Amino acid sequence: MSTHTIATPRRRSTRGRGPGGIVAAAFLILALAWTVVPLVWMLLGSFKGPGDVTASTPQWFFEPTWRNYENLFSGANNLATYLNHSVIAAVGAAVIATVLGTLGGYGLARTAFKGKKGLSFWFISTRMAPIAAVVLPLFLVFRFAGLIDTLPGLILAYLTFNLPFAIWIMSAFFEAIPPSLEESAEVAGCTRWQTFWYVALPLTKAGIVTTAVLCLVFAWNDYAFATVISGPNSQTLPIAATQLVTQTGVDWGQLTAIGTIVVLPMTLVGLAVRKWLVTGLTLGAVTGE
Amino acid sequence: MSADQTADQNTAARSRDAGDAGIGPTPVAPSARQHDRGRTGGITFTGWMMSPGVALLGLLSLIPLVMLIMMSFSRVRLLGGLQLEFVGLDNWIRAFSDVELWKSWVLTIGFFVSTLGVELVLGIAIAVVLNRLTRGRGLLLPLILLPMFVAPSIVGLLGRYMLDPTFGLYANLLQGLGFEQDVLGNPVSAFVAVTLMDVWEWTPLIALITLAGLSGVNPSVLEAASIDGADEWKKFWNIVLPSIKPILLVAILIRSMDAVRYFDIISVTTNGGPADATKIIPVRLYEAAFRFFDLGYAAVIGIMMLALTIMIARLFVGLLSEKETH
Repeated sequence: MSTHTIATPRRRSTRGRGPGGIVAAAFLILALAWTVVPLVWMLLGSFKGPGDVTASTPQWFFEPTWRNYENLFSGANNLATYLNHSVIAAVGAAVIATVLGTLGGYGLARTAFKGKKGLSFWFISTRMAPIAAVVLPLFLVFRFAGLIDTLPGLILAYLTFNLPFAIWIMSAFFEAIPPSLEESAEVAGCTRWQTFWYVALPLTKAGIVTTAVLCLVFAWNDYAFATVISGPNSQTLPIAATQLVTQTGVDWGQLTAIGTIVVLPMTLVGLAVRKWLVTGLTLGAVTGE
Repeated sequence: MSADQTADQNTAARSRDAGDAGIGPTPVAPSARQHDRGRTGGITFTGWMMSPGVALLGLLSLIPLVMLIMMSFSRVRLLGGLQLEFVGLDNWIRAFSDVELWKSWVLTIGFFVSTLGVELVLGIAIAVVLNRLTRGRGLLLPLILLPMFVAPSIVGLLGRYMLDPTFGLYANLLQGLGFEQDVLGNPVSAFVAVTLMDVWEWTPLIALITLAGLSGVNPSVLEAASIDGADEWKKFWNIVLPSIKPILLVAILIRSMDAVRYFDIISVTTNGGPADATKIIPVRLYEAAFRFFDLGYAAVIGIMMLALTIMIARLFVGLLSEKETH
């Protein structure tokens, strides 16, 4: 709503259009092309036959084929296995993080004790810790615990960034609802758990969904952890994709097909929560429209 | 009384309203309820709520941290069972006297400055233009946001496909413009290429954050400036930019923490080369740890990275609580 109030006077002042408007339009078209062309090119590539995908003059028009997808999901090295691993690891990490993050975030938002600032700081620095610095000791710990090349190991690794993220961001979402509602529920005789379950939780539905989606995207897109911790029994899609490259001769048709399979679901779920995206991705520091 | 002071006051007043753009509520808010009834055996209700998450995170963050510190003072052997052999400050001395490592740090800073610089300029420009649109914004914004959801490893692979010297779409375009070399094979163009891949992925985030900031700019101040004869550029520089400054600071801090994490794109494109032109710190750590199995030395690099992250996180939390008290 606040955007409309800005748009009105601005529109009036640029009514005349003139060179500024043309420059702006040209810039926007360029920015859009820069953003979309690689993705469109990947999507097109995944439907190209072997001759078209690596033709020395790029082909915009060609005979589309499902071949690449069919090849990926047949034969000995079936992509379905890796797809399964990706789904289990990402969904597992997202669900655990969201559940524990919702509980913990509520606790953090509705408490006031001396160590709170330190605790918050611990969450944010754990979330932001460089994966390279985490995966290094985790590799040794997991070797010791027998968690290398297992899906539970991968889920635990993803929780190192998803769990602090979920606690922190859910706490920001709970902070945004006025405590007076919960106070009156308690006056009416609700226990604290009932207040949480029947009053606070429904009010943060959008926040919970956003948290879950972002956790899912972070885990699904991971490469840095999986490249160290996963193996034949737990390989995820991004690793499968990069392994196609290191073998002699890259099948770019299959590679663009894997790319499409990795990218498509995340763009769909990501765009579904785009209203709260800015809050989620700035860790609650910025609230959107 | 200048126009931008008015704008500042206005945004400050507006950001107090819930739901408006601005620095929002944070977990460090002083507004938390003081009463915490429902005690069960010394632990409060909120304590119980936090305990599962905190316990799990404690395991997942403290064990590796202790391990990392121990590793940095040890020679780590993996063959025939895990062994940590105490070697004192050896790894630390080696790291601090390694010129190559310092070159990597300089490269990391260069990479960070160039990605963030381009992302800020482009992101703000896209946001300003989108904000002027009266129609079609709902359609354009999702398209602009797409790259953020693409796995960075796929961004890198796609970059390779686009830049392949024999069939790449962009390589073809560049050859048409007279650039005939293999883009990822030349140190300078490889650095530019991986920078632009990061720019491609994360400019949308800056645009999105800026857009949230722009909706907090007071339109009446802009109108008053127009009446006073200020042109578009002056209005942007003197009114819009100062009022979105706090939000941009958030964006910069978020991206700077991410910059230390940056690894995937370079790993699948250049893997640090050619001639170390893209060997930023995380890439060097992976190389030391998982190619040369010099795990103690890699642990020192890890601790350096961690220290930097903690410093930036401090700034971030400080910024948030400063906004709270205003």
